[in-house]
Amino acid sequence: MCIIVVIHLYTMLYDIQTSSPVPIYRQIVEQVQRLIASGQLAPGADLPSVRAVALHFAINPMTVSKAYSMLETAGSIVRKRGVGMAVAMQQNLSSAEDKLALLRPSLLNAAQIATQLGIPAEDAQALFLACLHETQGETHE
Amino acid sequence: MSNPEIVEQEIIKEKIVIQARDLTLYHPRGVAFAGINLAIPAGAVVGLVGRNGAGKSSLLQCLVGLREPDRGSASLFGCPSLQLSDAVRERLGYVAQSADVFEWMTAYDHLCEIGKAYARWDEHRCMQLALRMNLPMTTPVGKLSGGDQQKLSFVLALAHDPDLLILDEPVSNLDPISRREFMLAMFGDLRSEQAAERERTVLISSHLLSDLERVVSHLAFLRDGHLQAFDSWDAMLEFYRQVPDTDEIDASAIISRHPKNQTCIIDTRLQPELAVHGKALMLDELFLELNA
Repeated sequence: MCIIVVIHLYTMLYDIQTSSPVPIYRQIVEQVQRLIASGQLAPGADLPSVRAVALHFAINPMTVSKAYSMLETAGSIVRKRGVGMAVAMQQNLSSAEDKLALLRPSLLNAAQIATQLGIPAEDAQALFLACLHETQGETHE
Repeated sequence: MSNPEIVEQEIIKEKIVIQARDLTLYHPRGVAFAGINLAIPAGAVVGLVGRNGAGKSSLLQCLVGLREPDRGSASLFGCPSLQLSDAVRERLGYVAQSADVFEWMTAYDHLCEIGKAYARWDEHRCMQLALRMNLPMTTPVGKLSGGDQQKLSFVLALAHDPDLLILDEPVSNLDPISRREFMLAMFGDLRSEQAAERERTVLISSHLLSDLERVVSHLAFLRDGHLQAFDSWDAMLEFYRQVPDTDEIDASAIISRHPKNQTCIIDTRLQPELAVHGKALMLDELFLELNA
């Protein structure tokens, strides 16, 4: 006799307080937004299904649907036909810090190369400015 | 009575499954309930709350046609409650406060026999639900505890996959695990990916506010036979606020006034400037305030 045991480790992404002055749908919307902003939910990542969330917390599936619809309208998530909801590929980054954070890896890379080549900081900076002007000049034509 | 405009909009937009107009029932000591106007849209999960003796059971009995009101009318799916067609009965699941079961039969017997009367009866689904709720299947029902008899009533009400569930304190004797299974079962089979996404309307009267909070879309507060408030639960959370009782308050915005504490519950949609001073309430706090 052969017994096959499948152990399924599953953690729910959300933490919902059902006895709270904050409506459940709003708790879900805010949590998904935070998870996306912090990168825990990456662009393209699947969200737990409406059924899975309703089942886990024993709540009304319509509440989860309502939250997901609002996030979809805001452009944070998209509907993947036959699969469910997923984080949108393009998030609207409004804050300056967010944008600088995205630039950082490229600059770090350039800084490493400049250091390896022994290029002084002022020369490297001047070069970067020149590149910026060149790029912006192209886009203004 | 609160938010008549909002209820009107819902009547126009959505299909109304449960309707009551000026529903009134007298009883020897006075009135069970009076002037009840309700319009419950398809897909709503409505919690009916109120103290014992507020009139909840009699109201539900009139809605399903088990009692005749003294004034006014009720209808389900547009069909008068006192003359429900077979087609509507097939779509209705009702659980009375005291279990409607045959004491000499086992739970298994019930599921087999009663199923013969309904077209959409799914014996397999019943059995699964009965098992998940730990319902003993082979003991004569008369020998089961009150809680187990309640479980049977509930399983029977769900077995023909009704579009409308009217439940009178269906879980008062159940342990938390059984109650959880009950709540999940209200929404159809969430565990099955293949289960059809059909809309079910639910009207449930219960004292277990923490259970209701997780599942309701709307709440109806009944006090001394009158409907104090009926609105979506999210709207109540967002707009009902407890504020100090002052002259600034517009009478039309008041949902209720506390007789001693000098506080009011107001609907801040009707007086937005007071929202910032108000305290948001959870369901048990709101219940206490409305029944003070």
